[in-house]
Amino acid sequence: MECLIGMVGKDFVLTAADTSAARSITVMKSTEDKSRDLNKHVIMLYSGEPGDTVHFAEYIQRNVRFYEIKNGIELTPKAAATFTRKELATSLRSRHPYAVNLLIAGYDVTALSSQLYWIDYLGSSVNVPFAAHGYGAYYTLSLLDRYHRPDISLDEAKVLVKKCIDELKSRFIINLADFKIKVTDKDGIREIEI
Amino acid sequence: MATTRLEQPKGGFNFDNYQRNVFLENKGIPVPKMTKTGTTIVGLIYKDGICLGADTRATAGPIVADKNCEKIHYLAPNMYCCGAGTAADTEFTTALISSQLELHRLTTGREARVATALMMLKQMLFRYQGHIGAALVLGGYDVTGPHLYTIHPHGSTDKLPYVTMGSGSLAAMAVFESKWRKDMERQEAIELVREAIESGIFNDLGSGSNVDVTVIEKDKVDVYRNYAKPNERGVKEQSYKFKRGTTAILKESIKDLVIITEGIEEMDIS
Amino acid sequence: MSILEYNGGAIVAMVGKNCVAIGSDKRFGVQLMTVSTEFPKIFPATDKTFIGLPGLATDIRTLSERFRFKINMYKLSEEREIEPRTLAHLVSSTLYERRFGPYFVEPIIAGLDKDNQPFICGMDLIGCINFAKDFVVAGTTTDSLFGVCESLWEPDLEPEDLFETVSQSLLNAVDRDSLAGWGAVIHVVTPERVITRTLKTRMD
Repeated sequence: MECLIGMVGKDFVLTAADTSAARSITVMKSTEDKSRDLNKHVIMLYSGEPGDTVHFAEYIQRNVRFYEIKNGIELTPKAAATFTRKELATSLRSRHPYAVNLLIAGYDVTALSSQLYWIDYLGSSVNVPFAAHGYGAYYTLSLLDRYHRPDISLDEAKVLVKKCIDELKSRFIINLADFKIKVTDKDGIREIEI
Repeated sequence: MATTRLEQPKGGFNFDNYQRNVFLENKGIPVPKMTKTGTTIVGLIYKDGICLGADTRATAGPIVADKNCEKIHYLAPNMYCCGAGTAADTEFTTALISSQLELHRLTTGREARVATALMMLKQMLFRYQGHIGAALVLGGYDVTGPHLYTIHPHGSTDKLPYVTMGSGSLAAMAVFESKWRKDMERQEAIELVREAIESGIFNDLGSGSNVDVTVIEKDKVDVYRNYAKPNERGVKEQSYKFKRGTTAILKESIKDLVIITEGIEEMDIS
Repeated sequence: MSILEYNGGAIVAMVGKNCVAIGSDKRFGVQLMTVSTEFPKIFPATDKTFIGLPGLATDIRTLSERFRFKINMYKLSEEREIEPRTLAHLVSSTLYERRFGPYFVEPIIAGLDKDNQPFICGMDLIGCINFAKDFVVAGTTTDSLFGVCESLWEPDLEPEDLFETVSQSLLNAVDRDSLAGWGAVIHVVTPERVITRTLKTRMD
């Protein structure tokens, strides 16, 4: 029932995650932030089995941080995605695999490009211009496919993500309380309002 | 975790993915098909030795995966083995035993006996309780004469003068039952084996294409690959080449592997 | 629906006159939802050899990385490039090691050996090799590809003709498969060069 959306723009990545934490048919909280910052320029959005999600996200967050302290290098979005994918693929072969779907978005400060990775609980990872997870994907991917351009500006991206959220509000049977929208660019990660 | 280590081959099976696959299977997704050799394989003893035969069709479900595969596997210079069942299992089981027999031959300095190969095969298959789906016809000639065995996936064996296995075994056995005699001549034996395999090819859907025959005599082996080709494909009457440029291309990149230099360069002889 | 059909994809390889060609579609999806149209399924093993890995995407990634590792280790210890036939057995053994918990991929290998002789082969998910002299196919489009290749392939095609035959076989087969398509890429390997072409395809 959760929904994650991401899109790559000209020199930024825009990500959106719904903020409802539900259990069974009850909404327990409506201001949950379903993302963790892996470093200054990489953000990870997660959805899936409650419990698994935060645990896995923080496990990745701290290991990425540990790597950076050890080696003095900031991980690129690609490196972070590759590491995370492998952790998921390995976890899948254990007794209790993590059931977590992710979007890893970030700005590569060396290549000066923004990146978005779509990763599912099986460990499938793909680099994409736009992506969505959850039931919301069935409604929003078509909109993103229609309106997204590789050189889309931040203002246009805001309009597009608004379109996606409005579509969910009007067609999706579940009322997703609100969305937390973040932008990642060369200056780092920040939350924005639309 | 095996993927994280710099691995050296240890040998033996790896079960890392097993739990994952059970997990995926429990999500209601059926396990994919493996290549099976739906097969007719036969063997018989004649006056001077052993004659083995096999068809050449490999299937994946109803699809013919390979129209001309080899099902008579080499075990040792004096031994060959026909395989039916899960194709990968027959391939790897015979290769493994073949390698062990080679070492056996080198350590003992003698030619391995067919009974030795039989024990190795049946003990391995029994250990895996039928999970290795290899059904074999083992034939060879050693110091004690010609021997012919069948080995089932669970490890049980039979020693008989004429045998058939695989999905076409009934069709082939019908031929053997009506025509096999003791002490047949070599050519008679080969023809009977051909007839038995062809009976499988034409009457069993799991078997098809060509007939492979291997004849093992004292100190002599003849491998007749595609001994008979009763299903040769007709020649195409027309070429179906496309005109160059038919396919629309978006992007092209060429990587040159050979560097061509213009003119003749003086050879450096300093 | 089988696990091999979860993400979709098609690969075909053909032998020509002193050349080989291997092609794949570029779709990556989750059942009927397309997620990406830029998902590579063919990986270079050496200058003149490619491995195609259709099947479950997570295993495609895992195996492409493991094979890259193994091929590099082979190069370091043997001080030469791996031959396509040797590579086929390396891949086959890697898969059969997991006989009772397989990776869900059906690899295809295509390349030229050290004498520039064409080599192609296919495999099932537990490593049973199919050494073909004409063509091999794998992925969700197997059935249609078999049919179309069986009629279009002919012996001794020149590199440019082989390219057309592989492309048209793949394109037409993939049009009858909802799980594959959305772009295609073809590699043609000749003794002199490797030609990589991205095809214009239907996007539906």
